Amino acid sequence: MLLSQMRCLLLSSIVCVLLMACASSYKDLKPIQANPACLAKFKPVFKSTWYNASIDVVGKHLSGLLLFKTMPDSTMRVVFTNEVGITFFDFEFASTGDFKVKQVIEQLDKAAVITLLRKDFELIMMKGATSPRIKTLARGEQVFYAVRGKKETDYFITDKDCGSLLKIEKASKRKKKTEVILMGESAQAPDSVFLKHFTFNMQIGLKKILR
Amino acid sequence: MYNRYYKKPIVQKVILIFFLVSVSLTATAQYAGFKAIDDLAGFKKQFALEAKKTQSIKSNFVQDKNLSLLEEKITSEGKFYFKRENKVRIAYEKPFQYLMVMNGDEMFIKDNQKENKVNVKSNKLFQQVNKIMVDCVQGTILDNKDFTVRVFQNDKTWLMEMTPVGKSLKEFFQVIVIHADKKDYTVSSIDMHEPSGDNTLIRFTQKELNAAIPDEMFVIK
Repeated sequence: MLLSQMRCLLLSSIVCVLLMACASSYKDLKPIQANPACLAKFKPVFKSTWYNASIDVVGKHLSGLLLFKTMPDSTMRVVFTNEVGITFFDFEFASTGDFKVKQVIEQLDKAAVITLLRKDFELIMMKGATSPRIKTLARGEQVFYAVRGKKETDYFITDKDCGSLLKIEKASKRKKKTEVILMGESAQAPDSVFLKHFTFNMQIGLKKILR
Repeated sequence: MYNRYYKKPIVQKVILIFFLVSVSLTATAQYAGFKAIDDLAGFKKQFALEAKKTQSIKSNFVQDKNLSLLEEKITSEGKFYFKRENKVRIAYEKPFQYLMVMNGDEMFIKDNQKENKVNVKSNKLFQQVNKIMVDCVQGTILDNKDFTVRVFQNDKTWLMEMTPVGKSLKEFFQVIVIHADKKDYTVSSIDMHEPSGDNTLIRFTQKELNAAIPDEMFVIK
């Protein structure tokens, strides 16, 4: 009797743990009426901004300088060099959503690495914030502006009145994968940017260089 | 038909001669006011000998990174220290902080976030790239088999043009141009040209030779 009770307890615990693991962190979001146009005021406008950058990936640390520059044809260039001046990569993001690798060193020239960096920078640049497909949801006092992609959803999270951008998240159906926090007096020209991955150990930190 | 077979090589020859003439013109016109030196082996010996007279260098530096296609430039500056043998300290102070200390085979890097100790012998590429700057300053780069060297001169300056040979270095540099003062054989500038057309020019100013620099400046923690 005792044995069968224990078995039952164990099984129910396993089921509980599995259910908890499968539960979506975004399931509690409730649809609300809100105007996604308010996001435009938070979208960073990088005319020509240099950042001190540090990238920590799976125990390895890389530092350097990162440039965001809007070109006359409205494409955005993101260039990463080390302090001594060697360029590691140069990416081009078109306003149409097109992406080009203008330059990348052999060590970083891997599809998985480039896709990862592309997604991270698109999140920092708030590419989805002007999408016509934004859904508005809420959790307590927070408003989630959700842009659904093929496998992932970007959430731009603001306070109740869209007065400030709290954070940006990229998530799969069930869990948060990436989080971005933009800090500074002007949301459109952030002084600091923190990006953290939750599915593996990677962080990007940017601090504006005052020239 | 017969004529065409014989005309073609002549046309090719003319093109080839034109090409060679333009290449040689480009080679000599590449560095305005400079003339190529004839005795490269002699220069290397003399350079090594003269460079050894400098036991230490204390200097300021200004670095301009030019992104040519983006029409963008970032200027940084800091302090440079060299002490024989193989001790170098490069401290970027503005507009960001970055410290690089080399002592023999060991290298210490401190950026905004972290401190990192590296053994240069472990052959990490990023550290190798940083080390080139150090080799340039102490004159040891002339013996580096990873580069082919051409040397030019004018009244006051030696100009050393270093072209990388290996594939891995070619990825980073098209050519490195080093200017050295004739009076003391110390490096006055290093201009690293990347294949993309971008370049990084480092200029050394207020050089102080053979000043006492404490060994503590080069301690790797």
